[in-house]
Amino acid sequence: MFKKLIEESTGKSPWLFHINAGSCNGCDIELVSVLTPRYDAERLGFKLAGSPRHADIVVVTGPITAQSLPRVLRSIEQVPEPRCIVTMGSCPQSGNVFRGSYSICGPLSKYVHVDVDVAGCTPKPEAVIDGLALATKILQEKRRAMK
Amino acid sequence: MDFPFVKEAISQLFSKPSCAMYPAVESVAAPRYRGRIAFYPDKCINCMMCERVCCGGAITHTVEKTEEGDKVTRSFNLGCCTFCAHCMDFCTHGAIELTQDYHMIATKEEDLIVSGTFLKKPPVKKAVPPKAPAAAPAAAAAPAAAKPAAPAAPEGKAGPAADAADAAKPKAEAEQSAPPQPRDDGKPVQDPRTCVYCTICARKCPAGALTVDRAAKTWVLDEDACVGCGTCAEVCPKKAIIM
Repeated sequence: MFKKLIEESTGKSPWLFHINAGSCNGCDIELVSVLTPRYDAERLGFKLAGSPRHADIVVVTGPITAQSLPRVLRSIEQVPEPRCIVTMGSCPQSGNVFRGSYSICGPLSKYVHVDVDVAGCTPKPEAVIDGLALATKILQEKRRAMK
Repeated sequence: MDFPFVKEAISQLFSKPSCAMYPAVESVAAPRYRGRIAFYPDKCINCMMCERVCCGGAITHTVEKTEEGDKVTRSFNLGCCTFCAHCMDFCTHGAIELTQDYHMIATKEEDLIVSGTFLKKPPVKKAVPPKAPAAAPAAAAAPAAAKPAAPAAPEGKAGPAADAADAAKPKAEAEQSAPPQPRDDGKPVQDPRTCVYCTICARKCPAGALTVDRAAKTWVLDEDACVGCGTCAEVCPKKAIIM
């Protein structure tokens, strides 16, 4: 019975870890606005974690610069399985206007499996909430598959 | 005993939350919000202007040759788009629109691609203006301005309307005073009275259909390449191009 309770509860409190991989700060601001009282994603259980070891969902913003690439990969490896990787904005999906630059190693899907893409430059907070809700669903499925 | 905030605390328990209740209550984006791209392929004339102005390189096209013409598929990768609306602003035919839809969530990359296919027919070849009245039935097939002029045209010279259609001729004697008439097929006509042969139109033409020689004072239109987008008329500083 306890196990079932834990399983149900974990789906209701996915913790986020946010990685800025060379973002212009637009997506970072929007992600913070999702968690602050106006859109208040915390009422849905989302919470920003300080350490990747506490997180369930990794939100990556920015076009994955050469400097940030090893740190991004190391942080993602530290997130315990099952984890869900969400890219936010156009940059981690393709490089956007930075594509082709010598210092850009993106897209992120070259290195890790990306579960959810939230498009927009930057996405509206509502779209971010949609993306996180979808990520939570995927996370629950992964959790069940691991058992 | 005094409890200063009890009234406030109890009233807050029963009041509505101040946050936007997004997933429960649908929210509409601002009126001119630039969201998901809508592409109307039937309006597109394939001038490639959108691909040239796209800073993210999100717009691509593929061409498949068929018997009826070229099948052009233009795709917009929303995962690469900055939603700057340059493509919409530069599109002369309103084939691109950025809608208010902001729900752009995908689990696969293909979900973020908006595309449309249209058929680009080869241009209809203009019949040569008839030299003799006997050739008049052949002119009935001609789509351009040569048609009304054909029956009245005497032998040799085909009248001012046909001259306007054949804008490749830089200095026709009859065009000294009369302004050239716009063509029926939506392609540009040069007004030799005001044109200064600055070559701006040739440089701005997205299809590369114009050849202007400043020294020789010639303005030649490649009618097969021209897509009739109107960019040349837009950029002409002397307004010497009539659409």
